[in-house]
Formats: sequence, structure tokens, C-alpha cells
Amino acid sequence: MVDNALLEIDGIDAFYGRSQALFGVTFSVGRNEVVAVVGRNGAGKTTTLRSIMGLTRVRTGTISFGSSRIDRLKAHQIARAGISYVPETRDPFSLLTVEENIMLGYRSGSPYDLKRVVEWFPDLAGLMHRRGSELSGGQQQMMVIGRGLTPGPRLLLLDEPSQGLAPVIVKKVGETLSALRKEDLSVILVEQNLEFALSLADRVVVLENGSVVDQLSAAEGRQSPERIERYLGIH
Amino acid sequence: MNADGEPAGVSDAGVSKSGPHLVSIAKVACVIAAVAVLPLMMPINIATEIMIFGIFAMATNLLIGTAGLYSFGQAAFFGAGGYAAGFLLAHGWTSLPLVFGFAVVVTGLLAAAVGLVSIKRVGIYFMMLTFACNQLIYYAAYSWRSVTGGEDGLAGVRRPVLELPFVGAIPFDDNRVFYAFTAVLFLVAMAFLVRVVESPFGLVLAAARQNTRRAASLGYPVAKLQLVAFIIAGAVSGIAGALFGMLYRIVPIDSVHWFGSAYVVFMVVIGGTRSMIGPALGAFVFIWLQGLLSLTWSRWPLLLGLFVVATMIFQPDGLLALLTKRPAWLSGRRERSRS
Repeated sequence: MVDNALLEIDGIDAFYGRSQALFGVTFSVGRNEVVAVVGRNGAGKTTTLRSIMGLTRVRTGTISFGSSRIDRLKAHQIARAGISYVPETRDPFSLLTVEENIMLGYRSGSPYDLKRVVEWFPDLAGLMHRRGSELSGGQQQMMVIGRGLTPGPRLLLLDEPSQGLAPVIVKKVGETLSALRKEDLSVILVEQNLEFALSLADRVVVLENGSVVDQLSAAEGRQSPERIERYLGIH
Repeated sequence: MNADGEPAGVSDAGVSKSGPHLVSIAKVACVIAAVAVLPLMMPINIATEIMIFGIFAMATNLLIGTAGLYSFGQAAFFGAGGYAAGFLLAHGWTSLPLVFGFAVVVTGLLAAAVGLVSIKRVGIYFMMLTFACNQLIYYAAYSWRSVTGGEDGLAGVRRPVLELPFVGAIPFDDNRVFYAFTAVLFLVAMAFLVRVVESPFGLVLAAARQNTRRAASLGYPVAKLQLVAFIIAGAVSGIAGALFGMLYRIVPIDSVHWFGSAYVVFMVVIGGTRSMIGPALGAFVFIWLQGLLSLTWSRWPLLLGLFVVATMIFQPDGLLALLTKRPAWLSGRRERSRS
């Protein structure tokens, strides 16, 4: 556990039907900290994010955000508490315009309005009146990250933001996420792309078969990547 | 987002909305012209009926077209509105605000009760629950003879009197005056429902229709907002039902029958769900065809059914789309279906 934690996950178990997906997952995220969660397919990364967001019910263990427990709240209450989720599947609202998609979650007082999203992702500027489904994968990713930011979250959950994107787009997304580090924002970044994750994160949490098997600083990870790679099946 | 869970307007956050454009003005002009011309084309009561079912179909389209809630129980609110207003009018209360206010409150509460039971169910379960509630309300109306008249219907419904400052009392006994009144309510209902659909609230309903969990993840209590939409649709349907009772001076038991729920869905589908003009057009075509076909063959419902089937196969986007784009079967390619 870190001092001054914004999010504390303590021994959570989650299930899909009878099948257990998470086994006592425990880690925390500090204020303004970027934590990368890495692991193979099926390790429980997305389930961890869904559990935090209240989309997959936690059976045991606790999740605290700020000073409040959120593991019994509904998804919309967790979102209002200040957590935003950008899913791996992106899920653009295909019948809404790009502008409507981005601004759907906007709350009065949020520091992130449409203007700021366009500053981060200038490629979206000319696409505001297109439908969400009419964008390329990279543009959709930018749009849904913008949609995740406009509520003004204190914690952003990013699920595989680099997945399926061309290297040049991944670079662009990475630059924006780096710029976000200057904001008053904590991030949990689920990534398969280890290099991308290590370039952005402060700390790395390694999951295997639904359990946390290692936690290390990103600097340690960059120094000895094999410590993580063995869990990813790279070596 | 404000305290009620609605998003702040897009224009609040750095992007201004474009002003009224020519297409919108043209649409409004066409609708007003159609409403003005309609009673010249057909018997005044049929024109009035089209206005009434236009209101009913537009209210239903808030659920079907915007929220993606396929309710098969809307006739319950149409009929309940008729009974609520009709009961007052048959017992000597003719104040217009009182009569419509009572109909809106009764149908709003009824819709809240049905919505609470059904709104969290999806797909076929939602349809069946709304259908079952419709049948429950039908049998309640059938049995409650002292209020509804049971099988004979609630007779003796008078038309209310509109008191206007400087003008005085305007009685609705003249069918042309009643048409004008109904047409004004039709236009007001259309403007109101368009405003609802285009509001941030409507935007969230549309988003939730596509992905309920994602909309919830943005902080919206989706079920509550859908319930509000269900109540709005029920209350507006109740106004239509109240007008129907006034038109024929009776509220028949059929007005609360599930057939009405199916018919209004047909109207919405025939006209098209993408705007509020579509359901109004659907109501026009349905009522007009019903009248026309019933004069030509005693088994006219068969022809009407064939027309509905043909529309769904060859013009799935509704008849309104014929005016805006070539149909799929003419252009040789299918439009991607809506999610």
C-alpha cells in the first residue's frame, strides 16, 4: 500500500458466474500516480478495472476511494464519485456525434471541456459533427479518452489504450497521456504493450491468473524488464 | 452534469450550438401547413382523430425511437387518460386545466407504477411486462363499472370550455373549434417532445439505448432516466386519450385494450422512428387507411396488416424516409440497420 492512497483495493474476489476471475487482488494508487497493470490475456486486468467501476460485482474484499468504500456502489455512483472508465472495446455511442460523445459525461466545474480535449487531440477538431462510428480506430480511441476526461475524474481507468492502433497513433496517445501527468489526476493503465506502459507509469502491478504476483516501480521495471516479461510469456 | 443527473448542455462547455437553420424552419412550416390543410381533405372528426393519434404515436416514439424501450402497453395510459378526463367531464367538471391536469397526474402515476415494475427488464421481458400491465389495467377498467362504465364504456363525456381573458368562454361543441384546439395541442406536444429528445436528457436516453452500462459508467442513473421518459410518454399519451374521449363523447373499453398498444407501435414503425414527424405521419396513414379500407371490404384489417408487413419489409426506416432518401430496395443496397 502507498501512503496518501487515492484508491485502495484490498483482497477482492470477483466471479463470472461460478468461475472465479480475481483472487484476493490487493494494491493501491496514490494521488497523481500512474499505475500500470500488466499481465497475460485472462490474467484479470480488465476484471480488476470493471470491479473498481462496479460493472463486475466484488464478492469479498473492499475497494476504497478517497475516504469512502465504493465496492457496494452502482456504476453511475462510482462515476459520480470521481472515477472514469475508458474500456478496451471503446464503445463509442455510434448514433451520437463526436462532440456529443465527448460531452456526454461533462459535469459543470470539470476542468476538461471540449476545448481542452481538442487541444490534446487536435485530430478530432474537424470531426465533431461526424457520428462516433464513422471514425478510425485511433480517432475513436482519442474520442473515448476525451469522453473519459470530460466528467473531470480524479482517477482514470484506461483499458488497453494502445490496442489495435498504428504505432504513430500509439505515440500520439502516449504523448497525450504524458501531458495528462501534469494534471491533478491518477491513472490505472491496463496494458499488454510493456514498453508503452513503462514509459508512462510510476509503478507496475503484475497480475497472473487473477492474483497480484509482483509490484515494482516503473524504474525497476525499465532496469530489469525480464522481471515482468516472464509473467507475460515473452521469455 | 447537474444535480439531477442530466449532463450540462454541450454549448455550456466551449462549443456553441449552431442557430436555427433552414431545414428546421422548412420542417416546422410543412407541419403547420399539413395541420391547417388536413381538415379540408377529410371529415373533421377523422382529421381530429389523426391529431390525437399523432400525439399518442409521438409519445410512444419517445420510448421506441429515442430510448429503445419497446413498450406494448401504452394503450393503458391512453385509456386511463380518457377515463380520468372523461370521469370529470361526465360529472360536471368542465374546467380545462383541471380536466387535463387530472388526466396527466393519473396517467403519470400509473406510468410510474408500471415503469417501476418493468423498466429494469430488457428486451422481450420489458415488452411482456408492459403488455401484461396493459391487460391488468384493461381488466380493472372492465370490472370497475361505476367509474369506467365497463363494457359499455364511459358515456356522457362533455367537451370542456376554454376560458380566455378578453375573449371569454370558448365552447368546444363545434367540431371545427375542437379540431383547432386538438391541433394546437398536437403542435405543442410535438415541440415539447422534440425538445425532450434534443435535450441532454434525450442524449443520455439515446446513449443508454446503445450501451446501458457505458452510459452508467459516465455517471447516469440510466434506469431512473428511463423511468422519467416512461412517465413523460405515459402522461402525454393520457392527454391524447383525454382528447379521444372528448371527441366521441365516450371512452370505450377498447381505448384501453392492448390492440391500441399494438396499433400505436404500428403507427410509429410505419412513419419512422428517427424524428417526431415520422410517428405523426404514421398516425395519419394508419387512420386514413383504416377509414378508406373499411369502406371497401368488410375484412379490411387483412389489407391493413398486409400494408404494415409491406412497409416493414420494403421501407424499414418508415415512410418519412421516402421523402428524404431512396429506399433500400430501389437503390439496390441495404442501409445498415440501426443498433
